[in-house]
Amino acid sequence: MENLHSVYLEEAEDLFSRIEESLLLLEKSPDDASLIAEVFRSMHTLKGSSSMYGSNKVADFVHNLETIYDRVRGHEIDLTQDIIEATFKSLDHLKKIVQSPDIPDPIDAKYHEKLTADILGLLDEYSGGGSSIKQGSVSTKNTFFVSFVPDKNIFKNGTNPLLLIDELRDLGPSRVYTTIKKGLVSKKADPKECHTSWDIILVTEEDENPIQDVFIFVEDTSDISIEKIADVDLLSVSQFASKLPSSDLSSKSPTIKQIKKWVSEIPQEAFENIAEEATEVEEVTEDEKGEKLQRSHTQDEAITSIRVSSDKLDELMNQVSELVTTQAGLSLYAENNFDPVLNVIADNVEKLSRQLRDIAFEMTLIQISNLFRRFNRVTRDISTQLGKSVKFITEGGETELDKKIIDSLADPLMHLIRNSLDHGIESTEERIKLGKPEKGTIKLSSYYSGAKVYIQIEDDGRGIDAQKIREKAISNRLISKDDDLTEKEIYDLIFMPGFSMAKTVTDISGRGVGMDVVKKNILDIRGDITVESKIGKGTKIILGLPLTLSVIDGLLVKVEATSFVVPLVDIKKCFEIKREELSNDFNELITLEEEKIPYLDLRKEFLIKDENPPEKASIILLENEENKIAVCVDAIVGEYQAVLKPVGKYYRNQEFVSGATILGDGSIALVLDAYKIIARKIVKQKKSA
Amino acid sequence: MKKNILIVDDSESIRELVGNSLENAGYHVLKGINGKDGIEVLKSFDDTVSLIITDLFMPEMDGIDLIKEVRKDSTYKFVPILMLTTESQAEKKLEGKKAGATGWMVKPFEEGKLLRIVKKVIR
Repeated sequence: MENLHSVYLEEAEDLFSRIEESLLLLEKSPDDASLIAEVFRSMHTLKGSSSMYGSNKVADFVHNLETIYDRVRGHEIDLTQDIIEATFKSLDHLKKIVQSPDIPDPIDAKYHEKLTADILGLLDEYSGGGSSIKQGSVSTKNTFFVSFVPDKNIFKNGTNPLLLIDELRDLGPSRVYTTIKKGLVSKKADPKECHTSWDIILVTEEDENPIQDVFIFVEDTSDISIEKIADVDLLSVSQFASKLPSSDLSSKSPTIKQIKKWVSEIPQEAFENIAEEATEVEEVTEDEKGEKLQRSHTQDEAITSIRVSSDKLDELMNQVSELVTTQAGLSLYAENNFDPVLNVIADNVEKLSRQLRDIAFEMTLIQISNLFRRFNRVTRDISTQLGKSVKFITEGGETELDKKIIDSLADPLMHLIRNSLDHGIESTEERIKLGKPEKGTIKLSSYYSGAKVYIQIEDDGRGIDAQKIREKAISNRLISKDDDLTEKEIYDLIFMPGFSMAKTVTDISGRGVGMDVVKKNILDIRGDITVESKIGKGTKIILGLPLTLSVIDGLLVKVEATSFVVPLVDIKKCFEIKREELSNDFNELITLEEEKIPYLDLRKEFLIKDENPPEKASIILLENEENKIAVCVDAIVGEYQAVLKPVGKYYRNQEFVSGATILGDGSIALVLDAYKIIARKIVKQKKSA
Repeated sequence: MKKNILIVDDSESIRELVGNSLENAGYHVLKGINGKDGIEVLKSFDDTVSLIITDLFMPEMDGIDLIKEVRKDSTYKFVPILMLTTESQAEKKLEGKKAGATGWMVKPFEEGKLLRIVKKVIR
């Protein structure tokens, strides 16, 4: 969005200069139709994009200008020097306010009003006002009577009329009456045909257009009538509302005639009351309005959501995973006992437990914005402490993640942000010297991609000097002089224990404990971490995280009698080979699709000794950002939804497994950690090379 | 298989905004900067386009002419076309509909609405 906004600003700049250019030419030849059309079109484009980017004030302002030029274009009025003058002034003003469309500066705001009034005055002068002039965003409520009789074949082209009704109800408070054609509620009725019609009384701030829009794809075949019955909120007029029948199937829908009669019977005072209320609301200042909106918003939330302690949720999640495991057992048992009744029950239980699992899983997801917000304050405090001026931006706060993951992200993120503040962003003097913007920027963003969530910490500071890291690593004996490392591998060195680049140890970071802990924390939640950096430009650290810790989609494989689960996200492809292809190979490389790929034989790794391994073996190709590894197993069983359980403390320091899961038959399968496997194999290979 | 959508608008920010939303929703997006360019993009594209979204006021060739031009081509006789309009263009809407547009969307619209409508017409 940030990026798009800058596109919008650039485009606005461009349009301003185009309008200016045309205006200058128009001053000389005010009758040039193509120039007027150009000005009009540019304004139209500007209005359109401004309204899309939420700057309603800008859009409304441009709308009035556009109206003038529309009339000039239609030869209703002549282009006078006054109009050109006013347009120039408006352009100067617009250039200012597109940057901050809320017009925070009171002087600007006043000027805005004055210019708007001037332009409206111009319009009045030439044409005595007009219906399409917008005077700010005045909200008046209208009441419509919408009658919708769908074609009886509406289902056949895949339209669900109820969705249209829902869309209508989104526009404002409403009363919906449903009528089913008499005599059709019988066995003879064709269930593929629609014999239902709807009458809706709708109160909305919008005009007819959005209502018509709801029906755009059915209007050719269905009977739709939209009639405005009053320009106030009739549903809140008690004299009217009390006459309306209740909106269940038994009551008859009121006809438009009846409604009109009821409206005419309402005493005038009742309308006036409503009108007064409406104007009162209008007079509320912008700030208060915002507050009011917020208040009503939280009130809504109080009704639609309840708070539950996270312990209870964890417990629910636990129970659900137990249920899923038990259900797997039931399904297996049903499959082996050819009992049709049992099979049906098992299928149903499977379906239900899957749905239950999804719902429970969704409940444990929370928005990451809660976490992001914490850093706002901290960044401010630390940057003042360091005497640096930093702009902190967050993006994608609505991304949802497992609560457990968010909890374990707080420390690593804090550390990374501190690092950026301390080492990344230069001091203000240094930045000015380098010709960078005085304020440094740290951007914390989050987004989904595939089955993962990514979190980025990006700064525009001095970047990481790969050469210096290399030297430091050599002096710390982490690598030797003749090691040939890629840039990526060098950056990875900063995650080695005992590595710190800070020249001086500050209060905030640089004691050499840190980055390795960060990496460990991220790996613990099955995530990965990568660094991108350009000297002088800045550093970007990307964390890739799983959506959840408790359930993973995996591939169930077998080695001898032991089962393993490999997470599906990490699997690129599967192959079947003959085992003898591996037996005479000392480099532990296998050729897959004309590419030599290092492989791991799980038989060897887990010391499974068997003199007669099966002739055929399956190869699973694992891949992370930089490396590919083939893993050789005996057979692939199939996809498996694994409920992840932690392994005991004896397995703490192993390099293969991220957890275990219980299979349907009660046996246990280890869940392999693709990242650890790849890392281990690469290190091994380096050592032997 | 990703479905292809052509968006024609002279405003880069709208192209980007609509394009991004659609790409995030898993569509492949083609872009044209005016009617003429849109036709060229359409003709030089090997695959078929499942939906065309077009602005109405554009330099070189406007949206109405684009719709007429597209409808002449037998390949695109029935491809859905959505017009992007502003609330003040009621008569343009009708003109577009006569030229063969499937429906319209009034600016400004939210991403959700865009995707809902796109899904509805593409099927």
